[in-house]
Amino acid sequence: MNVTQWKNKMTDLSRRDFLKLIRNGFLYLSGVLVTGGLLRFLSYESEPKRKTEFDIGSADNYPLGSRTSIPEIPALLIHTESGYTALSLTCTHLGCTLEPNETGFACPCHNSSFDEAGNVIHGPAVKPLQVLRIEITDDGNIKVFTA
Amino acid sequence: MQNKPTTFHFLLLIASGLLLAALSFLWWNDSRQPAPISLTPTLSGETEYCLTCHVDLPEISASHPADTFGCVSCHGGERLALNADLAHSTMRGGANPSDFSVVEASCGGSNCHSGSEADDRHHIQRVMTSVQSTYAGAIASIRYTFGAQTDLNAHFGIQAVIDEQSKTGISSLETFNPVDEAHPSIQKFGEECLSCHLHAEPREGEAYARETGCAACHSTKKHTLTTAIPYTQCNACHNRGNYDLRTMTFVERTDHPTQRIDDYYQPIAQFTQCEYTLDCVDCHTRSEVMGDGDIHNDQASIEYVQCKTCHGTLEELPLTKTLTDPNDIAFTLAFLNPIKDLKLGDTIIVTEKGEPLWNTKVLPDGTYEMIGKATNQYFTFRPVMGTACEQKPDEQESHYCHECHAVEK
Amino acid sequence: MRPSFFHHLHPPTIPTAQARWRHTLAAGGTAIFLMLILGVTGILEMFYYIPNPEEAALSVQTITYLVPFGGFIRNLHYWSAQLLLIVSAIHLLRVVFTAAYSHPRRFNYLLGLTLFVIVILLDFTGYILRWDVDICYPLLTGTNLLKTIPLIGDALHRIAIGGGDACTSGLLRMYVWHIFGLTLPVIILGVWHAFRVRRDGGIAVPPPQVRTDNARISRNELVRREVLAMFVIGIALILLSSFAPAPIAPAMPTTPAAIGAAASQSARAPWFFLWVQQMLKWGDPFIFGIVIPIGILVLVALIPYIFPKPADSDIGTWFPKSNRFAQITIGLVSFIVILLTLLANAK
Repeated sequence: MNVTQWKNKMTDLSRRDFLKLIRNGFLYLSGVLVTGGLLRFLSYESEPKRKTEFDIGSADNYPLGSRTSIPEIPALLIHTESGYTALSLTCTHLGCTLEPNETGFACPCHNSSFDEAGNVIHGPAVKPLQVLRIEITDDGNIKVFTA
Repeated sequence: MQNKPTTFHFLLLIASGLLLAALSFLWWNDSRQPAPISLTPTLSGETEYCLTCHVDLPEISASHPADTFGCVSCHGGERLALNADLAHSTMRGGANPSDFSVVEASCGGSNCHSGSEADDRHHIQRVMTSVQSTYAGAIASIRYTFGAQTDLNAHFGIQAVIDEQSKTGISSLETFNPVDEAHPSIQKFGEECLSCHLHAEPREGEAYARETGCAACHSTKKHTLTTAIPYTQCNACHNRGNYDLRTMTFVERTDHPTQRIDDYYQPIAQFTQCEYTLDCVDCHTRSEVMGDGDIHNDQASIEYVQCKTCHGTLEELPLTKTLTDPNDIAFTLAFLNPIKDLKLGDTIIVTEKGEPLWNTKVLPDGTYEMIGKATNQYFTFRPVMGTACEQKPDEQESHYCHECHAVEK
Repeated sequence: MRPSFFHHLHPPTIPTAQARWRHTLAAGGTAIFLMLILGVTGILEMFYYIPNPEEAALSVQTITYLVPFGGFIRNLHYWSAQLLLIVSAIHLLRVVFTAAYSHPRRFNYLLGLTLFVIVILLDFTGYILRWDVDICYPLLTGTNLLKTIPLIGDALHRIAIGGGDACTSGLLRMYVWHIFGLTLPVIILGVWHAFRVRRDGGIAVPPPQVRTDNARISRNELVRREVLAMFVIGIALILLSSFAPAPIAPAMPTTPAAIGAAASQSARAPWFFLWVQQMLKWGDPFIFGIVIPIGILVLVALIPYIFPKPADSDIGTWFPKSNRFAQITIGLVSFIVILLTLLANAK
């Protein structure tokens, strides 16, 4: 192989490599745009947002000392001397709805158990039940917020 | 040779470049689109995207907040479409959903303006049968004059209407079709003189433009509904020109009058001060203007408010009523046009048919106050009783009052 | 170098003549590429499409206007489908005009024709899935045509839309036919069709003993050409779908009275059935809507069987003499269909 041959070969090679580099760059970028577009297309939220605000009617419906289950939230509204408290009945483990039992609440899915104040008696749940924010509106209704 | 860039490599390079360019264009084009603005009215719970383009529109009225009603429940249209042509293609009545051809779908419904007579929300039924809409009296009068009918009773309206429970004895009107008429003057009347009435298409031109349907009166400016209706709104029909009975033509005026007393179209008309200071709706009641649900023969049989309604006569004070029922219609009317704080225990003037003039009040000294519904102006006035008025007791209609009290033009 | 999967789909070498643009018009390959696009975009649309009469048109509006790139995906699906019809027709014309249907490809000709018919039905059912006011009368008349067939008509009508009233029900059937009942046969018959092309000796050219050009190209070269063709079609489709929106109309109303009023505004058949709609104006729906179209289809299907066998040396050449009758037949059929379409458009 003499010098000229070698030079020619190098030029051809690098030209080819250069073209290939640009082409692959174009193709990778195109791939990124297609993938990005696809992700944007698929990540559109087509289902209505979950309700986070519940008007559960007049506060008079929940007399002192009452513990009322509100299935639509789901939550337990407790009226004590210190006021109204809404205890979430959504299990803090994986979100199933708790069922009341003798000691408090039990989860039908994985058998977590909570006492009447919402503290964990036994797992797999580790966090106590959430106490939901409450507001009393001007016309005397109770509003419960889950978020 | 294998290592040389071939034509294919060049073509593939160009193709890759073009593909990237096309995809970039696609992204750029997507980024230019306005972000959709959604609204989920509480009434329907169905999300709509009209606000994407119409975000600047003012709230149409306090009684129809967009958060509750949205746009589509009144206007129709394709609620998800972000293409103007498609979105607007199924709108009711174009920009005016209160046009009588679609009013039932837009404004009706038993919870809205097609309620029962008992709950006083039969607005559509009332306005459809009113003389404002039927023009029955004028049609009957013209047909009688030119020999097409032998009595002055109403048989035709601009559109056919039926009211089987009518208390006036007229249970239906047929559609007046000028083409079917024999006399040329009646035909001419049909061409020239029907355009003001609410069921009819307005005339061309901007000078006295009005909407059709409810909006003719209640929409005083773009995207507004109100019961505070100024006289200028009424003037769109009631002062927009004059008719010539000999040639049976309508001559439109081209100016917008500013002097209310001088610029009324009927030169012989006489006015007292209140007639050109107040707005029409300050004295004329709902049933007079919008009908009472029955089909009436002519304007004279529905219009009844007179000077004496507020001022009484030498022998009688005007009728009044002390508001004791919190469900009194007066409170609803005052709520819709909150120019004053109407309270339980207030005494207001009522008409002889019992309609409340809720913008009035009897003052402790026996005089009266009135607040302009459209202007919010404050007026006081006195009863006739106890004054030096010399009018005969049996001549108490307004035109007798005009003889002394009219302001000279 | 070991051939990749895509190279492996091709024979090691093929005669150069079989891969010439002016010979194949690239119609068959384009059809396969369009079907791939249709499959992908169709699956994407299924993430948002709701096949029930109350929500279908609204979900189409959601896809078109609200989902990011949804309008583009829908346009891509629409334009690929329209192009597929055109490309399939060109493919059929090419096969007849070059006498390529001749033995041993007669069976594959029938496979291809069946595919063409299913593609038309796919286009029609896809159009129906819009479920807006434009589709009501085409669906109604199209399915009522089935009822005019003696003995089996009512059963076919039930098979097609499950009975009921075409503009308020039948959507679910149309959906299942489109997504599955017609698509699956297209996949199976399409693969079979492509396999038979290779089994029958590739794209039709004169047999080796009478061939003048014995040059061959490698599968590398073939794949290169295919790749370039895909780029060109892909870019063209991207641009077309960016600028030309697919048709859409107001959602179908829910009450029969409102449907009637809205549907009468647009009683036009989709463009590929305009020729049938034009004939239907002339009289008996069974004759003009069923007998004549099926007669035309049967005539086209019989081309390889009733006309004289083209000479071996003519196979794969454009407009050979020995194939005149077939050319005139398919030419006349095309002419009539185009003429009827233009007539329908003129009004």
